[in-house]
Amino acid sequence: MKLDPRTKLVMVLCITTLAIVYNTPGALFLLLAATIGLLFLFRINLIGVMGYLKPYFMLLLVLFLAQCIFTPGGEVLLAIGPVRLLGTRGLLMGTSVVLRLLIVIAAAVLLTTSNSRDFISGLVHWKVPYEIAFMVSITIRFLPVFRDEFINVVTAVQLRGVELKQVSWGRKIDLFRRLFFPVVYGALLKAQQLSVAMEARGFRAYPRRTYLRQLFLTRLDICLMVICPGLTLFLIGLHMI
Amino acid sequence: MTEKEINMMKQAGEMPAGNIIEETRKAFLELSQIRFSWPGKRTAVLSGINLTFTGKGITAVMGPNGCGKTTLTKLMVGILSPTSGEIRLEGRSLREYTLAQIGRRIGYVFQNPDHQFFCSSVAEEIGFGLTHLGEEPEVVRERVNFYLDYFELLPYRDQFPLHLSYGEKQRLAIAAVLAGEPRFLILDEPTVGLDIYRKKLLEQHLHKVAESGRGIIIVSHDNRFVNQLARRVITLENGQVKWDSDWRGKGNHEA
Repeated sequence: MKLDPRTKLVMVLCITTLAIVYNTPGALFLLLAATIGLLFLFRINLIGVMGYLKPYFMLLLVLFLAQCIFTPGGEVLLAIGPVRLLGTRGLLMGTSVVLRLLIVIAAAVLLTTSNSRDFISGLVHWKVPYEIAFMVSITIRFLPVFRDEFINVVTAVQLRGVELKQVSWGRKIDLFRRLFFPVVYGALLKAQQLSVAMEARGFRAYPRRTYLRQLFLTRLDICLMVICPGLTLFLIGLHMI
Repeated sequence: MTEKEINMMKQAGEMPAGNIIEETRKAFLELSQIRFSWPGKRTAVLSGINLTFTGKGITAVMGPNGCGKTTLTKLMVGILSPTSGEIRLEGRSLREYTLAQIGRRIGYVFQNPDHQFFCSSVAEEIGFGLTHLGEEPEVVRERVNFYLDYFELLPYRDQFPLHLSYGEKQRLAIAAVLAGEPRFLILDEPTVGLDIYRKKLLEQHLHKVAESGRGIIIVSHDNRFVNQLARRVITLENGQVKWDSDWRGKGNHEA
């Protein structure tokens, strides 16, 4: 399905709004199923996405356990003596948090089906100043840069003979604390070089920019842009009753 | 391999069976039927690579841009894993080593020096490996000063590495790896950004390193530099070994 990036932005906005409004695992599960259905429609390789997200599953598990343990209320499901470990409310909250995060991630995957240039162009059509639109896109682009910088540093440290897995936690924390500044500063230097390169090529030389690639809203785009917010408002209303 | 290095390996339980010195003289690094392709891509970056490095002498890897030279070196140091085939280091599969264990044997200079720096000053960058390998502070200081002086980095000793010019970064990257005195070196495009004088200095130092019985692989497009140094030249083309020749005329063969 080929859609305008603005339509995708509206859809993502609607999905994430519903994910925030809904607070029961049942409703959130249905929303997640609908979002995954959308990903199928966009022919996104879900197995590839799962592989990419694998390192974050541990984080989801930690979040789930933290919610389960620290949310009070409900019937006690598991306890060691007087210490309550799991309650029904905690279980519901934990499941909801994980589902909510999965929905946001799945919705964000929708945005990967258009390139950042098209999003800038879309935002500019919505009268967002192009400097700000560009800033948003660069911020998104810099997230993998940070990740790559960190991977490079960890690889370089190990290749100098430091066995990170065998280093004690105290030394590891000290090492990462020392590495943090050069990595962040390195990324900032890259950002500075990027801004110089952009200005050298005439960025912000004129208040308006023209684009070689023009975006056009098709009938399907317009329909979806009307239906999605309408449906979202309807569902929120239904949820409130 | 020094007595100290052998003792360190014994303590770490990394000593392979048999006489290690004899073993490593035979084949330090062996690549058998290596194929590599990026995840999700069908086209192989490298295929059918069979190479053996004895751990002595200087070998140059040459070839046009994008032929897989850097990928090959990254496979050799375990940054990347081959899609199929096996790499053996000192007779053991490279998969059995951690990156740190490989790093203690093979010093790797990245193609882009920026990827290699993580310390707050030039002097710290050179001494990092030595400090973390438990060398005495006096030895670290002495060696850091030697490499700062040799690569003419003394005026920048307290500067932030990423603030240096490209040529200075390149010299620092090489100095930081050489300071650890690994038994084998892989340098990916070490002459990029170096002027003629600094290239000569590097050439002389690499000669000394090779004479001390250590092996070196240089990935380079610099014909003159390679001619001066390399005994063996491997040429890659479209991800395959096109030539593997002995530079001093021991006969060459097309792979």
